[in-house]
Amino acid sequence: MSFLRLHGVAFTYPGFAPTVEGVSLDLAAGEIHCLVGRSGCGKTTLLKLAAGLLQPTHGQVLLRGRPPTDPREVGFVFQSPTLLDWLRVRDNVLLPASLQRRPNEADRHAADALLAQLGLAAHADRYPRQLSGGQQSRVALARALLLQPPLLLLDEPFAALDAITREEVQRDLLRVCRARGASVLFVTHDIAEAVFLGDRVSVMAGGRLVRTVRIEGEARRRDTPDFGAACNEVREALQPQETPA
Amino acid sequence: MNRNLRSSAGALALLALLLLAWEAAARAFALSALVLPPPSTVAQALWKGLASGFFWPHIRATGAGLLLGLVLGGGIGFAAGVLLAEVPALRRLAMPYLVVSQVVPKLALMPLFIVWFGFGMTSMVVITALICFFPLVENTLTGLASVPPERIELFRMLGASRAQTLWRLKLPSGLPSVLAGLRIAVVLALVGAVVGEFIGAGQGLGALIIAAQGSMDTPLMFAVLVLISVLGLLLYQAAVLLERRLLRPYVQPS
Repeated sequence: MSFLRLHGVAFTYPGFAPTVEGVSLDLAAGEIHCLVGRSGCGKTTLLKLAAGLLQPTHGQVLLRGRPPTDPREVGFVFQSPTLLDWLRVRDNVLLPASLQRRPNEADRHAADALLAQLGLAAHADRYPRQLSGGQQSRVALARALLLQPPLLLLDEPFAALDAITREEVQRDLLRVCRARGASVLFVTHDIAEAVFLGDRVSVMAGGRLVRTVRIEGEARRRDTPDFGAACNEVREALQPQETPA
Repeated sequence: MNRNLRSSAGALALLALLLLAWEAAARAFALSALVLPPPSTVAQALWKGLASGFFWPHIRATGAGLLLGLVLGGGIGFAAGVLLAEVPALRRLAMPYLVVSQVVPKLALMPLFIVWFGFGMTSMVVITALICFFPLVENTLTGLASVPPERIELFRMLGASRAQTLWRLKLPSGLPSVLAGLRIAVVLALVGAVVGEFIGAGQGLGALIIAAQGSMDTPLMFAVLVLISVLGLLLYQAAVLLERRLLRPYVQPS
């Protein structure tokens, strides 16, 4: 059984054309699924539907076969790090826990372990403004992972980073997610990023999924011919084909 | 640091130069002390008032009234700002009245307050509070309303209650704006307190200016003006220090 299932999901902002139209998608446990698309194709809206931040106008979202009830089962990373300036890095990571209860020793250990895993152990007592962009992105990732959510939703979290930092953070993300067996829905507009991270890459256009590419074997490694081929396949699917009237 | 030091030394030198020019002009043109007393005479009056203890009760009266008005008006303004930010229906209802109340020159209400609250401290505190009220309402409202939407979504995602969102997200997010409002209120409060005392008080620095005018004691008037300026500077500096202290994590480290 799939872990997260979107079934014929559609969403329309009142007074506008549909943003998401009949998207069906299955995410297996531990799988990483990337959504690629141009700006305004509805990928962020789809992610918010999956997170339960928006209610679909049609269709349904099922998490383990049930509508998601507890938002804490889902870790969400936004386009910008959205860290709280007035909290130290450790307290930012602890935020999901501290909104529910007084963080205990175990929570603090979990936070410190995550920070260490992401190479931020030395920065735990600093404020977000004192960190670089890449470090802030990592803190946001650590915060999303603190409660060990089985599902992680990421909305172009690394779009603002330079290429080299982005590759580093991608590797960290992959490592941490594999270690925890988290299922990931990852939205991006960067084809190479999608192919590198994803087990599957879906191309989204006009509120629909137009093509899904499975990434296997050699294609997972950068600088292999298979990787290039997969990127090309995704790029072709992104080209505007016969536009629906 | 070094540059800071040099620029404040420069400012002090300019002050000394201006005072010297004033002194020289007062002597050269043999101006009557009634019109423009030289700085030396003002300094004498200032020293005499401070040393004899004549000024202290007045400074205390103005300071107490000002702080009381600031705390009352600022506190109520802050609370009202939070309430209006959290209850949009109330905001739509009350906003026009708030704006009107802001447009009415509050010092013009002083005679009315004397009828209501009598001569003395109460009238002056009320007018100061009224003046401090608006900057805090307005800045609190703006501060709480301008929380980035992504942060609000983050708190929703994390299942935060409304109280938690207010207390742990909106208030800290709005803090810079609230403190800027406080800084404005502090300066306005001094104006309110002194002018309030012009009309409605037997004690305080404002009343002292009126008394000095009555006895044609211009050096005393200048001395009191110096006191008021120093009081204002101290209050403003206190507000700036508070701001700097509380907002340290919000600004880029140097």
